[in-house]
Amino acid sequence: MASAVADRAWRQSTPERIEPDLAALWRDLARPDQPIARAVMSNLVVFCSPTDADHADAGAITVPLGLNDVAALHPSRLIVLEHEPGRRTPDAPFAAGVGIITFGPPHARYGVELIVVKSACAEASLPSIVRRFVRGDLPTTVWWTEDLSTTSPLDALVTMGRQLLYDSRRWDDLRRGVSALAPLVAGRRVDLADLNWRRLSPLRQALEHAAGPAGSTSRHEVTVRIVHRRGEAALAWLLAASLLATRDHAADDAVLSVVIRHGTGETTATLTSHSVVVAQGSAPPFVVGVPIASEGDAVAAELRTLSHDSRLDDAIDALARWFAVA
Amino acid sequence: MTIVIFGGNGDLAHRKLLPALYNLHVDGLLPPRIAIAGVGRKDTPDAAYREFAKDGITKFSRRPIDEQAWQTFAAMLFFVKASLDGEQVLAPLGARLDIIEHERGLPGDRIYYFALPPALFVPTVKQLDRARFVNRTGDPVARLIVEKPIGRDLDSARAVNDAIAGVFDERQIYRIDHYLGKETVQNILVMRFANSIFEPLFNQKYVDHVQITVAEEEGVGTRAGYYEQAGALRDMVQNHMLQLVALVAMEPPHALDADVIRDEKLEVLESLRPIEGAAIDANVVRAQYAAGFDLGKPVPGYREEQGVDPCSRTETFVALQIFIDNWRWAGVPFFLRTGKRLPKRASEISVHLKEVPPILFNANPAARLDPNVLSVRIQPDEGFSLGISSKLPGPHVRVYPVKMDFHYGSTFGGSSPEAYERLLLDVIAGDPTLFMRRDAVEAAWRWVMPILERWAETTTDSLPAYPAGDWGPVEAGQLVESTGRRWRAL
Repeated sequence: MASAVADRAWRQSTPERIEPDLAALWRDLARPDQPIARAVMSNLVVFCSPTDADHADAGAITVPLGLNDVAALHPSRLIVLEHEPGRRTPDAPFAAGVGIITFGPPHARYGVELIVVKSACAEASLPSIVRRFVRGDLPTTVWWTEDLSTTSPLDALVTMGRQLLYDSRRWDDLRRGVSALAPLVAGRRVDLADLNWRRLSPLRQALEHAAGPAGSTSRHEVTVRIVHRRGEAALAWLLAASLLATRDHAADDAVLSVVIRHGTGETTATLTSHSVVVAQGSAPPFVVGVPIASEGDAVAAELRTLSHDSRLDDAIDALARWFAVA
Repeated sequence: MTIVIFGGNGDLAHRKLLPALYNLHVDGLLPPRIAIAGVGRKDTPDAAYREFAKDGITKFSRRPIDEQAWQTFAAMLFFVKASLDGEQVLAPLGARLDIIEHERGLPGDRIYYFALPPALFVPTVKQLDRARFVNRTGDPVARLIVEKPIGRDLDSARAVNDAIAGVFDERQIYRIDHYLGKETVQNILVMRFANSIFEPLFNQKYVDHVQITVAEEEGVGTRAGYYEQAGALRDMVQNHMLQLVALVAMEPPHALDADVIRDEKLEVLESLRPIEGAAIDANVVRAQYAAGFDLGKPVPGYREEQGVDPCSRTETFVALQIFIDNWRWAGVPFFLRTGKRLPKRASEISVHLKEVPPILFNANPAARLDPNVLSVRIQPDEGFSLGISSKLPGPHVRVYPVKMDFHYGSTFGGSSPEAYERLLLDVIAGDPTLFMRRDAVEAAWRWVMPILERWAETTTDSLPAYPAGDWGPVEAGQLVESTGRRWRAL
């Protein structure tokens, strides 16, 4: 669970004054009797659509995105870029704000920096904004909160980070989402981190467990039937692609259900919000727990992962090839 | 004490000197009896000069102006019109200073600050001599502060130094490099020699390489006239960056006396391996910024800037690999880079320690651990940090790079004094530790001269370009990557 936010210092700023204003906030927060530590393990560049306000509004951003939880679990320099996609007109950002979110008891406070920039710039100029504010000596993650099947990630921006974080659950158009990611997968240019894929992990683990030693099912022709809840098509396709990519195989509250027939045997795995139940023939079913995690937990867990998720890459790659043929 | 600022109504006085003196006054650090006299060509009444000073303090002081403090400060300010053309032109200045000092009961101790274009250094010092302003015996006190650049090559630096030495004794001369007045730069010696953890590591056994970056986000702005003649190597490397190299690499001084410290710094400058001939092309990269973006706004390339020759070959970026041929640093590359129109204003020294052996947690060749890096942030956000590897909480052994971080702002609170405050205070106190001695200035020029000469000879090859808002040309990346290392991202 994330630590509760103790306080948030916030002030309106201008793009040029962001660093001095942040420094001033730190000075204001530093008190001899109540020291405060700066906590920063990485940069998290959050790309999102602009809010209605013509000024930077911390509350309008942090609450819906769960940024307080993320900051508590994996303290990052939070750089929120509110940008209206499709802009071509060169222009400066028109509003900015800076804040420090503080956590912990008075004797052990720590703070996390928050920068909000509202931009109407030409997209080609966005990297110049991001470069200005990231701490280059720390890992950088770009969190694309928009549906990237409708708002393709900006290559120049995405490749500034080591990791692209997104949620395929938001995708309206699965094919477009996959095709947006395919070039990144092909070039292995950034590590992909899909929050939806993370949800699939228990099911994948359960299926791997059910399959037994690697290759035990590959000698048979297998049939797979996947049933998913409304709105979970991306999850279903990711699972299908995962099974395809590995060449192995693979209720009312079920998020996703997969039936794998191999020879005369059958394995059914059902992902619910709290568990994966796997049934195999007449054997008693076994259950794999699903971690209880908020979006903030999931985002923080992805930020901590510095390794490449080759299984997700393979799945995206398989989907891209699949859709290209279909 | 009287501080006489030649160029008293210029940009440096407006933005830096007068705000610095004001802050010293507010902090109670100026001598109780002091006068500040701006000197310039324009006829400016004292009242108008005080308004000029107030404007500069309001805009550029690190703390807001306090009306009571301002009133007492303003009473110290005067302006004297003076021209440098002709014989005995400073006689009226002398007469006015005598009156000011007499009225305020000052003993006639003076600090002359040359906030002037370099071309006026020699004529002004000669006029001071003609007017008999300077007494080498030190009674009354006469000190001279000169701003960089001291010359534009070794010969002209020697000429300036010779002219000044004809009037002032070396111990009366304070060659200012404002970088040396920054808190973090002063703290380099404290960090190295007041902590037992760092100094034992500062040598070729443990250090893989050192990087020094001085990045500016601004373009050439209104300084094209100067910059066209200077370029990044003269403007930054010959002075600021080599001084930083000296501070990082110097041997422990046996005392904190000015000349002991300056002797050790000089040793480093004299140990720099000369870069000559073809080695210049292999170890030095120069480039110019092209059109690009600054914080979202489109900005022109250097050659399109006002006052810049459209065919200019002046470098706005330079990166170097240098070596210090002494026992401590043998074989350790120092990578230096500086430039205009880089993504952000940032100055940093980073000491990259050697990797741990490729076993245990560093066994995977595809995912090597980040080596430990000690970084000294000079500006902005002054402080130190030490990058270390740590286990992520959880059941698996996963290693994540974390930082032990010290920030002046949030540790000590309040704003640090500006570099000029510290340096002016040192001149008033007669402490030259943070100022450059003649031999160090000339040693630095001697080292950069082969590079400048080779560049002057090679006028046909194309100059690499980098888009404004980027971290320099690809050639700069290749300079470091060819050694198996990378520029540290800032």
